[in-house]
Amino acid sequence: MRVTSTGSPPRRLPERLRYAALALAVAGAQAHAQLFAPGEPKLLPPEQAFRLSARALDPATIEARFDVADGYYLYRDKLRFSVDPVGAAAAALPPGKPKHDEFFGDVEIYRGVVAVRVPLASAAPGRTLTLSADSQGCADAGVCYPPTHGQVRLTLPERAGKPGPFVEAARKGWFK
Amino acid sequence: MVQVNRRTFVIGGAAIAAAAVGAGVALWRPGRNAARDGAAVLAMVLPDADGREQALAQWRGKVLVVNFWATWCAPCREEMPQFVAAQARDGAKGVQFVGIAVDDVDKVRVFARELGLNYPTLIGGYGAIELSRTLGNDLAALPFTIVLDRQGRVVHTQLGPLKAARLDSLLADLAGAG
Repeated sequence: MRVTSTGSPPRRLPERLRYAALALAVAGAQAHAQLFAPGEPKLLPPEQAFRLSARALDPATIEARFDVADGYYLYRDKLRFSVDPVGAAAAALPPGKPKHDEFFGDVEIYRGVVAVRVPLASAAPGRTLTLSADSQGCADAGVCYPPTHGQVRLTLPERAGKPGPFVEAARKGWFK
Repeated sequence: MVQVNRRTFVIGGAAIAAAAVGAGVALWRPGRNAARDGAAVLAMVLPDADGREQALAQWRGKVLVVNFWATWCAPCREEMPQFVAAQARDGAKGVQFVGIAVDDVDKVRVFARELGLNYPTLIGGYGAIELSRTLGNDLAALPFTIVLDRQGRVVHTQLGPLKAARLDSLLADLAGAG
């Protein structure tokens, strides 16, 4: 489509003014086509593309979980977990799928469900804690999301037994 | 963002033939639903890789391609060589690419050197993502590219890579029209 640039609106005959609204609608449709090319991917917001939840496994362990939507992936080396106020020991990240990156070299990515055991620095039976997770991922459609920050608030059990229910991350504070 | 409601589309569809004869593309001008005012883009002032503040307004009057990118964004890095080529090819015609990096200056410097970047890239940090949201990047994802014509109007926004053919035809239209 040609984009012409006229400094001032052209003069119009009165009868043509009747078409002005219609023509403007056409221009609007053209603008829509121009601004949103048909090839532009339909994309999920990051909190839906990378759904974070967590559950207490026992008084000393939280399991964090990302449900990564089809067509999206997370970078393994961008995952960070912390627990407030107790503190977390190093989380054992499961192995990812290898992916070669021209700038960063060989990296690993996660697709589908990623479950990560986050051991607490010390057991905290019955306490309510906040798990924070930093992550960064992309869509196969050709976009990447900036590092995002999710939080899940959950209460640890008094004693070991059945794992607690999964708690979804709060929406707020997603962006760093 | 430009919103065109269903009714407008119906009217628009019925009017296409008439408009093609009568109104034509001359109606493409700043207006409610046509090209948007790019004043918010041109109002941006960000530091370059040497820490000097750069106002985008200095490129007013050029065909300006503003590309939000980051080194951590592989699709961004993959499309940038074509921007370098287009800048070399069309720079003399008044086309100016400007990168806005959602990134640290050190990583930007390394990548710019590796790529042989021939246009300025300003350092926005993560704050630039919020900036891009105000310019229509609702999902706050990268790459995000805004094309302004010589009159400072937004004629194209693109989330995700800008295909080479699309970029070339945009630049041919805009740089030729000046």
